[in-house]
Amino acid sequence: MLYRVIDAAELPALVAAFMERYEVIAPVRSGRSFAFEAVGSFDEIVLDYPTTITSPKKYVLPPRETLFRFDAEANEVTDYVEAVTPRVIFGVHACDINALNSLDRVFRDARYPDPYYEARRDATMVVGISCTPSEGCFCHLMDADEARTGYDLFLQDIGGRYLVSIGSVEAANVLEGACNPREATDEDRIAFRRATRRRQASFNPEIPDIQEVPMLMDAFHSDPFWEELGGRCLSCTACSSVCPTCYCFDIRDTLDPDGVHGRRERTWDACTSPQFAVVAGGHNFRADGRNRVRHRMYHKLNGFLATHDRNLCVGCGRCVYACKADISPIEVLRFFERKGAENAD
Amino acid sequence: MDAMTENKPARVVVIGLASCFGCQLQITNVERHLLDILGQVDLRYWQLTSSDPMPEEFDVAVVEGAATTEEAVETLSAARARARWVIAIGACAVTGGIPAMAAPGFEERAAAVYGEAAPEACGALRAPAPVGSVIAVDYEVRCCPIDPLDFADTLQRVLRGSNKSVPTSTLCGECKRNERGCFYGRETLCLGLVTRAGCGARCPDLGRPCNGCAGLSPDANVASARAVATRSGVDPARLDKALELFNTVDPSLAPKG
Repeated sequence: MLYRVIDAAELPALVAAFMERYEVIAPVRSGRSFAFEAVGSFDEIVLDYPTTITSPKKYVLPPRETLFRFDAEANEVTDYVEAVTPRVIFGVHACDINALNSLDRVFRDARYPDPYYEARRDATMVVGISCTPSEGCFCHLMDADEARTGYDLFLQDIGGRYLVSIGSVEAANVLEGACNPREATDEDRIAFRRATRRRQASFNPEIPDIQEVPMLMDAFHSDPFWEELGGRCLSCTACSSVCPTCYCFDIRDTLDPDGVHGRRERTWDACTSPQFAVVAGGHNFRADGRNRVRHRMYHKLNGFLATHDRNLCVGCGRCVYACKADISPIEVLRFFERKGAENAD
Repeated sequence: MDAMTENKPARVVVIGLASCFGCQLQITNVERHLLDILGQVDLRYWQLTSSDPMPEEFDVAVVEGAATTEEAVETLSAARARARWVIAIGACAVTGGIPAMAAPGFEERAAAVYGEAAPEACGALRAPAPVGSVIAVDYEVRCCPIDPLDFADTLQRVLRGSNKSVPTSTLCGECKRNERGCFYGRETLCLGLVTRAGCGARCPDLGRPCNGCAGLSPDANVASARAVATRSGVDPARLDKALELFNTVDPSLAPKG
């Protein structure tokens, strides 16, 4: 990995250089919160945002997308090729970069690559930025507080300047052209270590650090806790709407009002949606909140790990705020903490 | 043999019961697609557009409004006997809606308004009820008023015999997809917690809390929603009260015991 240092005052020039060639997506204020949106100038960007309501996932896996169009009368299908906008997502936190890396595992699986996802992902550059954890953040417990791969640039704030990790030639050229990147000095490296320690010390200590979570998930699979947690699920799917790694989708045909033409569409789906596990004949394999919430937590904290050697949950904390019923992986960690305390008695 | 199996355009009737007729009007509110939609059916009867009587034979009955009289019940039974498919449109037809707010203690209410006997023009009054509690309903188009494109989509499903499943999840997921913050963080009551999704959470998207016009989801967790309200500084009794606007006669809200 190549590292360079730029002054904070050089950031607007960097963004402007990206804007010349790409659509720039960045965190902006949205009501009382923040959202990733296309920006027209550096001034719109809020780089010290705590979190956004939804994640950059929407730019590689849109909530609704057309896969192809059809003509029901002529019985013809037209492959749908969307003009993919070359983009830079600027100001992405480490958790969300790790989330994109997990989505890559799924949609760029060499056996079943997803052309729609790939086209967008290939046209998307990622510029990461360091952050200070907020109250609901637990990325450090999910091994997602550092982005080791999956970005073109990563900007680590080291006080008035940024230590820039360079991940791609394309981005290095933009950086080189827009700023005056210099070699990192020992002083920069010391400042980097300090910034990292400061971040590590800022996590909410109330969120328990539990070892062997996947094993505990299996051990307590039948615990009454899941009824308590899932019993209060509102079946709204807000959790998966805001989750940077929920990737389940549904595919539906929608006819135009003329009854002749139509679209095959892919839309986000969620295992917390009551119909998610309904099969032909009407049987629902997960008919209640207990089963649905437990299933979601298993995939986030156990199942994906078994297949891909990484937690699907990146600890971004979005569901902690989005779920009005207080259902989140943090509640699962707290449950394991209580169980540990009981067993120690 | 009905028209649909003979590969002729389906014969459609549109029936208006107790309602503001706004949902029928909504059908016409897609000028760009109206001729496309009407071109696919054989429209046989529509109170709004013609005073001709309801025909003896048809394939699809579209019903707006709640059943508030014995005559309405007879109309519905007759429609059910003739139609292969019945589509209930709008909150009044689907949940009982606003008319059904009068359902609890209906006789006393009617007496308070009309005295001993209601005028003959009222018909034989009965407690207002959704269409689905009187006859079997095959398809529903929800909300107050309906979204005309939602109606068009439902009509397509009927004409094509689609069994596409309709999700019962509640609204907040759609609201988050719109990237909207939550009213409960502002100590403001919103019925999205228990109301069926499908509308795209457009009221919250426009800055107005959900008033529940799509009806309570069969998977609604009202007890949990009350707890959410309490935690958020909203009196849960206000949530119950607000649900009366469109969900008074929802069986899941009936007192247990």
